[in-house]
Amino acid sequence: MIKHSPVTGRYVTIEVDGNEYKVFYLHNGTGQPLICQHTAGAHNHQWRGLLEDEEITRDYNVIAYDLPRHGKSDPPHNKEWWKDEYRLTADHYVNFIVTLCDALELKDPIFMGSSFGGNVALQLALRRPDRFKAVIPVEAADYAPGFFLDWWRHPHANAAQVCASGVWDLMAPQSPDLDRWLTWHYYTQGSEAFKGDLYFYSVDHDLRDELVNIDGRRCPVIMMTGTYDYLTPPEATENTARQIKGGVYIEMEDIGHFPMSENHELFRVYLKEALRIIRERKG
Amino acid sequence: MSIDVNSWAAKYKQLTNADETIQCMGKYYTCTFMFDMGARKVIVEMHDGKVKAINTDPAPMDSYDFALRASPETWREFAQPMPKPMYHGIFSASFQRDLRLEGNLLVLMQNLRNFTVQFELLRQSGVPV
Repeated sequence: MIKHSPVTGRYVTIEVDGNEYKVFYLHNGTGQPLICQHTAGAHNHQWRGLLEDEEITRDYNVIAYDLPRHGKSDPPHNKEWWKDEYRLTADHYVNFIVTLCDALELKDPIFMGSSFGGNVALQLALRRPDRFKAVIPVEAADYAPGFFLDWWRHPHANAAQVCASGVWDLMAPQSPDLDRWLTWHYYTQGSEAFKGDLYFYSVDHDLRDELVNIDGRRCPVIMMTGTYDYLTPPEATENTARQIKGGVYIEMEDIGHFPMSENHELFRVYLKEALRIIRERKG
Repeated sequence: MSIDVNSWAAKYKQLTNADETIQCMGKYYTCTFMFDMGARKVIVEMHDGKVKAINTDPAPMDSYDFALRASPETWREFAQPMPKPMYHGIFSASFQRDLRLEGNLLVLMQNLRNFTVQFELLRQSGVPV
């Protein structure tokens, strides 16, 4: 059976903080740009359901990129990156996303990311409310310590399996087997980057004293977290949203830390509500 | 009324040895671990993906590579067919509940794929506490 997907992929080369990145992204849809960040140690296939969601792509230009060192986006070609330990910082992460949005000429994009992508969404709302129409931090919190662990790349263990099975119970048992195992599969592919991503997630990202400076009326912040997320449990997200001016918290029942990847059919119900709130506030 | 521990051991062995997800990558899944359920402790000995033995009455000097220790209440939650949030895995319960992972955790990490699958078989076998 031959069936072509409407999703297409392209590469764009950009320079960020002296690094030359050839960035791979998938896109489908027309209208309001909605740019999506995968979770730590994963890649843009986590957004496969959204990219082919006919209802959402009718009005939204959905773009899901691979962060450098993930999926089909290589490490920088102009650096001897193999001589340094990879540690993602908030500064570099923000600079990368803004540079990519500029390169793609995205006008007033909505930024959505999950986990370490959710945490950087909060950073964007703080630092660049002028550049984004709104942000949707999924499974995010002001501070998320405890996951920058040596186990993710211990030379005496199979890092691919440690990363993939180490995040297994971040997903809800109700999520379909196929989608959970696909998420597991993605995680086997990104184990060398996972720990460096988590440097941002658990160490460099700390907005506990900065939430008061995020203006969710200028750049709406719609936070969503699943009830099975043990890493940023619902109370952590709710507590974060409450401290943001105009912040919104939506609790997602029976889903975990990778909602778009583990159960898109359920996630899309909550996402449509988040998009409705943004339309209501910003048009 | 909890399940008799020997009946539980036979059931858990049968479920493990028949599990396709474990058996398709069972080679080298060889290690020994304790489930410490408070009132009840068992030591499961794995060899190439199969349960070699389950020691249902461990003596003080019986050894194992790593242990999972939690209250009987937590183990009963692990064994629910659809566990509540935070009782749905070993990471969630150790981050958010009273599960403690002890011993040589490197062995746990070396066998993590199969161990997490086998742990979830408790949802079918129940627990003997």
